[in-house]
Amino acid sequence: MPKIDELEATARRALHIFYVLDTSGSMTGTPVATLNRAMEETVEVLRKQAKSNADAELKIAVLEFNTGARWIQPNGPENMEDFIWEDLSAGGLTDVGAALSELDSKLSRKAFLNSMTGAYLPIIIFMSDGYATDNYQKALDEIRQNKWFARSTKIGFALGENPDMKMISEVVGNSEAVVRTQDLDLFARLIKFASVTASMMCSTSRTSNQDVTGADILKEAIDQGSAPESIVENVPVDVPESSADEKDSASDGWDADDWE
Amino acid sequence: MSEKLSSGYRINTLLGKEAVIEKWLGEGGQGDVYAVQYGGERKALKWYKPCGMGKNPQAFYENVKDNVMRGSPSPEFLWPQDVTEWKDGVFGYIMDLRPDGYYEVSDFMLTNVRFTSYKTIIDAALHIVSAYRILHNIGYSYQDLNDGNFFINPKNGKVLICDNDNVAPDGRKTGIIGKPRYMAPEIVMGLRDPYNLSDRFSMSIILFILFCLTHPLEGKRSLVPAMSPELQEKLYGSEALFIMDPEDRSNAPDPKIHRNMRAVWPCLPAYMQEIFLKAFGQDAMKNPNARPAELEWVNALVRFRSEIEQCQCGNEIFTEDGAPCVCECCRRKLSIPFRLRFQEYAIPGTPGSRIYRCQVGSCKLDEVLKPVGLVVSKKDDPSLIGIRNMTDKSWNAETPSGKSKRVMPGEVIPMKAGITFTIHDETIKIESN
Ligand SMILES: Nc1ncnc2c1ncn2[C@@H]1O[C@H](COP(=O)(O)OP(=O)(O)OP(=O)(O)O)[C@@H](O)[C@H]1O
Ligand SMILES: [Zn+2]
Repeated sequence: MPKIDELEATARRALHIFYVLDTSGSMTGTPVATLNRAMEETVEVLRKQAKSNADAELKIAVLEFNTGARWIQPNGPENMEDFIWEDLSAGGLTDVGAALSELDSKLSRKAFLNSMTGAYLPIIIFMSDGYATDNYQKALDEIRQNKWFARSTKIGFALGENPDMKMISEVVGNSEAVVRTQDLDLFARLIKFASVTASMMCSTSRTSNQDVTGADILKEAIDQGSAPESIVENVPVDVPESSADEKDSASDGWDADDWE
Repeated sequence: MSEKLSSGYRINTLLGKEAVIEKWLGEGGQGDVYAVQYGGERKALKWYKPCGMGKNPQAFYENVKDNVMRGSPSPEFLWPQDVTEWKDGVFGYIMDLRPDGYYEVSDFMLTNVRFTSYKTIIDAALHIVSAYRILHNIGYSYQDLNDGNFFINPKNGKVLICDNDNVAPDGRKTGIIGKPRYMAPEIVMGLRDPYNLSDRFSMSIILFILFCLTHPLEGKRSLVPAMSPELQEKLYGSEALFIMDPEDRSNAPDPKIHRNMRAVWPCLPAYMQEIFLKAFGQDAMKNPNARPAELEWVNALVRFRSEIEQCQCGNEIFTEDGAPCVCECCRRKLSIPFRLRFQEYAIPGTPGSRIYRCQVGSCKLDEVLKPVGLVVSKKDDPSLIGIRNMTDKSWNAETPSGKSKRVMPGEVIPMKAGITFTIHDETIKIESN
């Protein structure tokens, strides 16, 4: 018999979690400090979990946007087990369009989604506290054609006194997957709960064959955080059926050239 | 991750006792687990999350309560012993604490921990199979069988089965259909609710993983850049294909990623390969009745266990037909002077070899793994070996010259070629190699 010590760990598909975080000038002071602490704690919990998660290899990438957008891990998503949070600082504009274009360019097999062992659909967590300072509509139209974006599990956080609920809901594609709150402590708890729930998506027993959506994850996070349900508002958004989306469900699952 | 119960918090239970929170131990998708003081003992409390009780929390509660009343079917189950009152829309149940030295299947998959030998893997597999056999025999099904349900001791193969809250009389809906990648194809396709035959499929996945550290349905085809729900439905449901399917190689192991398959599969005895091929064959994917029954698993595993010999160098060698062989590691010749021939196969007759109850005819469920005969050597002359009667009944033995002998409990038959002896329904013959 082969030596038991020489066998390798079971192959795991990658589960990518993207954080797209607003660090514009309006986040200066307590908001960005709370964001940093919340992310530090989230990463701590996720890191512990990643070590014993046989269902998915957790990978994380953080895209911050202010005047322009910048990946904190320019070489691509890092293994959660080795990941260390680096504090972000706030200042500058709210270039949502730049963030979406940057995200679009990396949501591709040729860029960030190149796991050898295959991957689950990515998770995207988007947070903003204001109105876009650039024209994001074109970038949004484009990224909506990106299959990975269209099919990812998306969750939004709208912070501060005057967030653009319409913009955030459009990015997330569904206002039911967007939390609006001015309570920074509540935000810190919810982003942690939502991240943990999302990262355990592949490990959790199901009650039905229905897919788990961003709204489901958020609902669970709200339950756990004992937050009022009213923090999810109903904002009608117009999400055009992505052509990428239709093609996929009609054709052979994912697109054919991805098969080998 | 949710708000935790704090230490000292008291909760009343159905059986009129009280559970006092000691500390938080861990969390799963459905809830948290705490160490508690309960009726003067330390126990574990599983405390549900609001979303962890399925679609109908009241029915879920009733089912756990029924399980408490019914009692544990077999010691392998960390069975619910009491349920708590409701608090803020959730409740919990009491079970034994998991002792030290037990690990989850995921820890084995990630090689955070490893079995000490193949015999230990077989023992773990046997414990799992016999526990489900007992459960299914009393008309229950587990319904959410997955890698998170087991605590296994890597040193002795002992198994504890947790999460028994979804266990229900076969056919009763618990609201949970199972964990992705561990559900039977018919459940993935939404054709029916979980039941004992879908349990069988999920159990086979666990057994395959224990031996091969590879998921049986995840070969080349599963290395997709984006596992969409539609694809998931195909790969684990409508088009599920075994990684070792002999006819359709499209899901064969990837030489770089599924290296364990190349190491383990060729070393498995033919009857182990066959039972896996049967469990994951196209027939068994589509027709749940074609899946190997627990008893078939027990027979294959017990035979496998009997046929493994350990070389002086530590390597475990799979022997065939009780015949001597050469260690593939150190090239030593393994001396096996005698073999014990059963009706269907032969095992090596070397000190330590066991004859199990299930190898000598049908038996009660809890006796399957009881050794009835053990090969022993003489204290003052270890070269003399024999077979000890470990049962409480006498055996009939016959010498090569045709003389009949009674072998009383505890007595030993000397290992001599030509002697036959009968235990229950099986006549075993000693042969020399
Ligand atoms: N009886 C027990 N004694 C000690 N620890 C336990 C016991 N039962 C469970 N645990 C620990 O508690 C944690 C959560 O348990 P478990 O996995 O059963 O939760 P769950 O919500 O049913 O998870 P899931 O349904 O997602 O598998 C795990 O880390 C497990 O090791
Ligand atoms: Zn050897």
